[in-house]
Amino acid sequence: MADAFSAGEVAQKKADGVADAINRMLQNLVIKCAKEEGIRDYFEVGVIGYGAQVGPAFSGTLAGRPMVKISEVGNSPARVEQRSKKVPDGAGGLAEQSIRFPIWFEPVANGGTPMCQALTQAKGIVEGWVGQHPNCFPPIVIHITDGESTDGDPTSLADQIRKVKSSDGEALLFNVHCSSQKAQPVVFPNTEAGLPDQYAQQLFRMSSNLPPQMANLAKGEGLNVTEGARGFVFNAGMVEVIKALDIGTRPSALR
Amino acid sequence: MDAYLKAFWLPKEGCTEEEYEDAFFPRNVSSLTGERLRFAVADGATEASFSKLWARLLVRAFVRRSLTLPFTLDELKPLQEQWAEAVHGKELAWYAEVKVASGAFSSLLGLELTENSATDATERQWRAVACGDSCLVQISADQILRSFPLSESAAFTSRPNLLSSLAGAEVDETGLVAECTGTWTADDQFFLMTDALACWFLKQSEFGKKPWSLLKEVETGGQTSFGDFVAELRTNGELKNDDVTLMKIELLPSTPGWD
Repeated sequence: MADAFSAGEVAQKKADGVADAINRMLQNLVIKCAKEEGIRDYFEVGVIGYGAQVGPAFSGTLAGRPMVKISEVGNSPARVEQRSKKVPDGAGGLAEQSIRFPIWFEPVANGGTPMCQALTQAKGIVEGWVGQHPNCFPPIVIHITDGESTDGDPTSLADQIRKVKSSDGEALLFNVHCSSQKAQPVVFPNTEAGLPDQYAQQLFRMSSNLPPQMANLAKGEGLNVTEGARGFVFNAGMVEVIKALDIGTRPSALR
Repeated sequence: MDAYLKAFWLPKEGCTEEEYEDAFFPRNVSSLTGERLRFAVADGATEASFSKLWARLLVRAFVRRSLTLPFTLDELKPLQEQWAEAVHGKELAWYAEVKVASGAFSSLLGLELTENSATDATERQWRAVACGDSCLVQISADQILRSFPLSESAAFTSRPNLLSSLAGAEVDETGLVAECTGTWTADDQFFLMTDALACWFLKQSEFGKKPWSLLKEVETGGQTSFGDFVAELRTNGELKNDDVTLMKIELLPSTPGWD
């Protein structure tokens, strides 16, 4: 037997991938709102982690905060890593460039998937936010999971989140399913037929319809999005997940 | 010739004066005399960072004749260096660094007026260059004589080509910078405008109205009256909520015209 990775290593790699995706998403949000004088507060962002514990998951000085203004997020990463990136060298080749990579969220791979607890907490935050900002663009909840809830059926909680309303519309719930099954990636499907297991199908049913504006953005990114597409992504490569997250969070005020 | 100059500007509704990213030059001047005079307006792109600085560098360089007419992109190099020096001299946060790496963008509209009395008949000409959708309109005998580079309001819908603060960022130089020439006579007026106001101006004239007459009433009240006027157009949905710049030039020949 020569398994390349143990089950623990697989879990760690998946956790690393999810953490990277969330950190990149936060980076993209900050950059969209950044101007030379600083960061304009187009958003507030919260990250809830769930596993052994359920709660706010920012690290560093933002630890414990359920919702944080995007300017504060940008100015308070837990740490900044140096990473290298390939860029065109102007002569047809590629050159390595060192870039700063801010980290807010550290990978965590430990037991349990208390999805109901996590969604209950998300619902509380979304309700509170809409209560304070009744005319806001509806909050967007992006739920990233490996699939099977270990504390009950989350369906009705998902329904309740999608029914929270501002004057501008209903809250959006997107699900990103990172399964260990070797199945074809699926991005924004319009039917649960063909999804590989009951957990994927359940998460599909829990997902909001993709609003027309986001569907158009997704098409613009080259994704095949048809009528009735839902905000659900299954086992997509990290690049597709980031695209999905980006699309889900692009403010209409920014081009 | 004597040129009489009035300039008005406003940031987007809901933004501070600091956030105004258009530029125009000369500033704080109400009249100029000479045989060759230059004027410019520019519109720094909102999505990028340090566009205001880039727009300012462009208008000054054009008016101070550091750019030829028409100019090539190679001539922008010293300006691109100045921009990079100013930007990289600062201690930047990680997100600002990412923005700087993609450069700043701006439109540029430059106008040169000449009066040559060396020959028997005095020649009064103008030449203009444009990249992007900032426009000039020449009013002669109470009519629009020329509009450049765009001549109808519908043309403002597309995303304009802009000048980049990074050398080599433009993939195709062909057609990036447009050029136009014409002649002028005594009492002509030139309106130099960034896109939001230029679009409104052309739309008004498409409806058979005379926006230059409307603006004349507004300008007697100065910047405050201009501010009220723009606010009303924005509220009525007639003007896109964007930075607004208007530079109006009225001309008086130095010798009585034969033309």
